[in-house]
Amino acid sequence: MVATQATGKSSTPARQGDGVAAMAPRRPGLAALLGPQNKKVFPWVLMAPTILILAGIGIFPFIYALVLASSNIILSKPYLARSFVGLYQYQALIQDPDFWHALRLTIIFTVEAVFLEFWLGLGLALLFQRQLAGKAVIRVIILLPMIITPLVVGLIWRYMFYPGAGLVTYYVGGFFSLFGVRSLPFLADPHWALQTVIFVDVWEWTPFMFLILSAGLASIPAQPYEAAEIDGASSWRIFWTITMPLLRPSILIALVIRTMDAFRTFDTIRVMTQGGPGDSTTTLNVWLTKVGFEFFDASKAAALSLMMMLMIIILSFIFIRVFRARTENAS
Amino acid sequence: MSLEANYLVESPTAPARERNWWVYLILFAVCFINFVPYLWMILTAFMDKGTSVSAVPQWIFTPTLEAFTYLVREKRVLDNLLNSTIVSVASTFFSVLIGTFCAYALARYEFPGKDDVSFWVLTNRMMPPVAVILPIFIIFQTLKLLDTRLGLILLYTALQLPFVVWMLTGYFRDIPKRFEESAMVDGDSWFGAFRKVTLPLMTPSITATAVFVLILSWNEFAFALYLTSVQSKTLPPSIMAYAVGVNVQWNILGAACLFITAPIILFVLLVQKQFISGLSQGVVR
Repeated sequence: MVATQATGKSSTPARQGDGVAAMAPRRPGLAALLGPQNKKVFPWVLMAPTILILAGIGIFPFIYALVLASSNIILSKPYLARSFVGLYQYQALIQDPDFWHALRLTIIFTVEAVFLEFWLGLGLALLFQRQLAGKAVIRVIILLPMIITPLVVGLIWRYMFYPGAGLVTYYVGGFFSLFGVRSLPFLADPHWALQTVIFVDVWEWTPFMFLILSAGLASIPAQPYEAAEIDGASSWRIFWTITMPLLRPSILIALVIRTMDAFRTFDTIRVMTQGGPGDSTTTLNVWLTKVGFEFFDASKAAALSLMMMLMIIILSFIFIRVFRARTENAS
Repeated sequence: MSLEANYLVESPTAPARERNWWVYLILFAVCFINFVPYLWMILTAFMDKGTSVSAVPQWIFTPTLEAFTYLVREKRVLDNLLNSTIVSVASTFFSVLIGTFCAYALARYEFPGKDDVSFWVLTNRMMPPVAVILPIFIIFQTLKLLDTRLGLILLYTALQLPFVVWMLTGYFRDIPKRFEESAMVDGDSWFGAFRKVTLPLMTPSITATAVFVLILSWNEFAFALYLTSVQSKTLPPSIMAYAVGVNVQWNILGAACLFITAPIILFVLLVQKQFISGLSQGVVR
C-alpha cells in the first residue's frame, strides 16, 4: 500500500527510537484493545490458540462422555431402546467387583512403579553429579528405554520373557534351575504377572525421573552446599535439608507427570499380557478397553473413563496443593 | 587410619575418580540392563526365521536382511515411516509454537483465573486416551479427517500442548522480566523485545521441550491405531500387525521395531547436547 497511509492497519514493528507510547494512538481500536499495551486482555490473546485447540479437542469428548454415561448404549446391541438412566452407570460401576479389582491393581501398579522410579531415578541423578568419564555415552544408554516406543518396550519384554525362547526365561530360568526351581513363570503366572509388568514400567520410565531430577540438581546453586560444608553437616543431612527442598519443583513435575501416565498405562500392558493371565494385570485402563472395544458397552466405558479422570484430577490437585504449600512455607 | 582421614577431607562435590569404582559398577549394571534387551531385538532383526525361534538363544549367526526386505517390499513400511516423520515433526512444531505463547502469558502476567487456566490445561492430559477415541473418531468422521495426516497433526498438537505449556511456563519464569522491559524502554515493541531478548534466552529450553514432544508424538500408538487405516498410518500401529497371534515371527517384529526406534534414537543422539543443557538451564518449576 501507499506509504503515506499512516492510519492504515500496520503490523510493522516499531523502529528504533519510536517509543511504544508513540505507537499507541496510531493503532486502530482493535489493536489497542488486544495489543500488548492492554495488560488485562493481552495474556488471553497469547493463550487464545492453546485454549481454542484444547477446547476443540478436549471439551467435546468430555461432554460426549457425560452424555454417553447418562444413557445405556451398548454398541453391539443397537436394538435396545435408548433411555436416560441418570447416574445408574456410576452406581453399577461402584457395585461391580471387577471395578474394584481393576482399581486395586491400578493403585498397586501406580504407587509401586512411581515409588521405585522416583528413588532409582534420584539415585542415578545423584551418582551422575560426580565427575565421571564417558558421561555422554552412559547418559544415552540410561535414557534409551524412555526413547524406545512404549509399544516396542512391551514387545521387547514379551520376547525376553517368552516361555522357552526368551532371553530372560532362558538364562535366569537356567540359573534358578541349578537350585531345583523348575521355571520362572514371569508373565504367565497370575501372581508374578503384575510384578513383571511393574518391572517393565520401572525399566521404561526411571530414565524420565533421572532426566528431570538431573536437570533440577544441575540448577541448584552451590552456595548452600558450601555453607553446609563449613558447618560440617553430614552428607545425609545435606541431602535432606538442602538437596530435597531445593529440588522440590522438579520433584513435583516429575511425580505429577509420571503418576498421571502410570495411572493410564496402556500400550505395554496391552502388548505383554492383554490384562491376563485371567484378570491379574487388568488395570483400569486395560479394563476400560475391554469394556469399550470388546463388550462394546459404550455407556459403561464412558462412565468409567470419567471416574478415572476424576481420580487423576483429584490426585494431581493434591500433589500440586501439597507441594505449593510447602514451597511457599520454605521461601 | 588413612582411609578415614581421606574420607573426612572428601567433599561431596569434589572429583574423586579413584573412589568411583562402585559408581562405575552401578552404572555398568544399569547400562547392561537398559541396553541388552534392545540389543537382542536388533540382533533378532538380522536373523532368519529359523534362528529367531530357536529355543537356545543364538548369539552367533549369519546375518540376513530377509526381514527388512519383506517389510520394505511387501509391507511398504517406508510409507509409514514417512507418515510418522511428517506427523510428528509438524505436530511438534505447532504445539511448541502455540504453547510457547501460552506459557509466556502464564509466566509473565498476573490476571484473574490464571491458576485455573494453568490447571485446566493440564487436565487435558488426564483423560485416558481410550476414553477420548470414540468422540474424536466421530468428530474426525464429520470433518472428513479420518485417516489423514492433517487430522493426526491436529490431534497430536492438542495432545502435547499441556506438556509444552507446563514445561515452558517454568522456564519463562526464570528469565527476569527486566531484560524485556529494558529492551522496550530502548524502543522495541513487545514483539521485538520478545524476539530479540526472551526468545534467544529460551532457545535451549524450547529445544529440549521440542525433543521431548517429538519423542512422545513419534511413539504415540492408541490414537494412531484407531484413527488411521491406510493413507496416514504411522509406524506404531503398523507394527502391531506383526505382534498379534500365537506364531509371532520374531525376526520380522525385530526389524519392525528397529524401523520405529532407530530414527528417534539417532535423532536424540544428534541433539543430545542441546537437549540436556536446555533441560538443566532453568529450574523445572
